[in-house]
Parts: sequence; C-alpha cells; structure tokens
Amino acid sequence: MKPTKSYAHLLTGLDGFNQTIEGQWGLRKIVVQQTETHSEGGSKLPKPITQVTALAVIQNPWIGHGTDCELINSPQRIAARLAKLLSERILAVTGGAGAIQAFGKGAIIGESGELEHGAAIIHTPYFASNLRSVFEGDAVISFADTRGPAGEILVVPLCEKRTGVVRDYYQTVRVSIPDAPRPEEIVLVAAASTGQRPFPRVGDRTTDRLIDTSLMNGATE
Amino acid sequence: MKLRKVFTLVEETLEEGGEAVDPVARIAVVAAVIENPWAGKGFVEDLTPGIDSVAGELGLLLSARVAAALDAPIEAYGKAGIVGLNGEIEHASGLIHTLQFGNPFRDIASATTLLPAVEKRSGAGRGFDIPLKHITDMKLRSHHQTIEVSFADAPHADEILIALAAAAQGRPKQRLRTFGTDPGATV
Repeated sequence: MKPTKSYAHLLTGLDGFNQTIEGQWGLRKIVVQQTETHSEGGSKLPKPITQVTALAVIQNPWIGHGTDCELINSPQRIAARLAKLLSERILAVTGGAGAIQAFGKGAIIGESGELEHGAAIIHTPYFASNLRSVFEGDAVISFADTRGPAGEILVVPLCEKRTGVVRDYYQTVRVSIPDAPRPEEIVLVAAASTGQRPFPRVGDRTTDRLIDTSLMNGATE
Repeated sequence: MKLRKVFTLVEETLEEGGEAVDPVARIAVVAAVIENPWAGKGFVEDLTPGIDSVAGELGLLLSARVAAALDAPIEAYGKAGIVGLNGEIEHASGLIHTLQFGNPFRDIASATTLLPAVEKRSGAGRGFDIPLKHITDMKLRSHHQTIEVSFADAPHADEILIALAAAAQGRPKQRLRTFGTDPGATV
C-alpha cells in the first residue's frame, strides 16, 4: 500500500505565472515538528505545553536577479501560498486556532540569496496578515532570520498573539533542517505555542517597580 | 517513568534530484525524553529491573505516536537511544534492545524484522542519524534510508532520549538493483 497523499499541486509554479519570477519557486520539503513539555525544573506541569513549527523549503525565485529586482509584487502569491500551507499544518497539530496562544515566524536564506529575499516573504501582509488571521491574533508576529548553510539553526521568538507584549508568553523555539537550505533555497518558518513558558514567574510591566539606571552603579567594580 | 518532553517530527519530501516525488515521501520521528532510571546510582550490574520498569511503557507510547504522526502504512522503521552525558550507552541500549520496547512497534507496523538502531551518548541538542530498513525484509535496498534529527535541550546529562522512526516508503527516487542481482555477486 502506498500513502494517498499527493502534493504535486504545491510543487509546481503558479498557474499562468511560470515564466515570471514568482512562478519560479518550487517546494522541496515540508517539516512539521512539535515539542510537548511535560515538566520543567523537576516539577510536572498541570498540562503539557506544545510548541509547533512548520517549515517549508522553497527555491529562491530571486536568485540571479540582482538588487535591482523589485520585491513588492513578485512575493505576493508565493507568500500567501506559504502562509496557507504552514498555518494549515500547525492547525492540524493544535486542533484549531483557539488552542494557539503565541506565535512567531522566521526565514533561513541560502547563501546565494539576500536576507531581503526572506524579508520579502515573511514581512508582508500576504504572509504575516494571513497567519495572524488564521491564528486569530492581532499582534505583530515576532520573527528571526538568518542566512546560512544547510542545517543552520534558527531560534524563533514567539509572542502572545493578541497584544504581543505579555511577558509570560515570551519564549523561543529552535528549528533546523539537516539538508536545507541549499544555497539557492529559502526555509520559511511559522511557529505557534499552546501556552506560556513553563512556570512563568518574572512578573510583567504592570508589576515591575520603577527603576532607574542607578541600579547598575558599581556593577563593574 | 519520569517524562519531560515528547518531540514529534514529520518530514515530507516533494522533490528529489529535480523531479517531483509523488506521492510525497513521508518520514515521522517521535522522541521521548525521560529521566535515566539509573541516574546517580553508580555502576548498576543488573539493569533488568530498570529496563522492565520503563521499556514496555515507552514502546507503547512511542509506537502509537509515530504511527499516528506518519498517518500512512509503515514500510520502513528504525529506533534510537541517546543517553545523556552522565549515563552509560548500555542504559540507552538496555531500553531499546528489548522485546517489551520493540514489539508494540512491530505489532502496529505488522512488521517482522529487527529494528535498526543508533545508540550513542551525547550532549543536549546534538544531531543523530536514525537508520531505517524495511519492516519485513531487511535486504530490500529500496528502503535503506536514514533521517537526521536533533532535539533542542535534550537529553540532559541524567536523561535518556528514546526515539522511533517510521517511513511510508523507501528512499525518494530509489532505483538500485535489488539485492543479489549485482553483476558478479555471489550471495
């Protein structure tokens, strides 16, 4: 028996756009990873916290086009497709947007590309607003990006999805793919968490006492 | 069994060598991170009580999880035991090289062969390769494959990370001669 899943429709260029830059992307790999944390610091959590990441490895369609190449129009459909693909994978793990409390995003650009190529996808409404909408959030999505060889590690920050600046939700998740990105590829990342950090207890901006820099006086002596 | 984390990874390959892989090639890995049952006890001669307290439960947990994650009939499989820096490789081997651990996976996969394995000692978050082979015929070349994984923050020095891997197919674009048909080969 063979699995019935087929994603051939995702691999190919965009219909009618195969001769354009945005039609020159290709999807090589999808990796979905979840981390369930059951205990921390020797104490069992009341319920496990799950972090989920979905990664897509695509061909960088802007390789060879130089820094004059526009990055406003050509990423639109690619970014929207990736938002749909990655968000669906995450929702399949969490069981819906209601379980998601924090989110993040990222890109690892292969060595032949520009950092701007990753930004062209993740820092656009076609990617970020779609993720926000599907995950039922409002906040600006935390991000990390880097350029590196295959197997490069990216630590993606997550923030609370409604207002962003809620300290108990500040957390990160580590991602890497051993054989990606190739020099002419980009790895795109969407990340979500079903909870806060385990046992958060550092307060927040409403409970911090007022301080000034005098607390640092003498710190180097 | 003191469980700290469970990792689940599903990798889908849609293209290899520039050609579409259709249906997509799927591999799933599930790893559990537990406290080393022998942590802090010095050299323990008889590992069987510790093995019996953990291995069966681990086998049931991981095999059910990895079969669900793969979401397709299992054609190839493998296992891993990664012991943290304070432990012995024998501790990881003890947990995975037992029928209590392996049989639940063989049952779910309708498998008959031994599970290929990696056993090593490692710091947290380091990469390791899990070998996979066909579930009923270890000579089936098309299904010899490996998946590299690394899980952040595990295993700690007094922990063991135990993993199962399952693939829904052989290598993407596999096209080698079958075992025993190489020119001049005598088997």
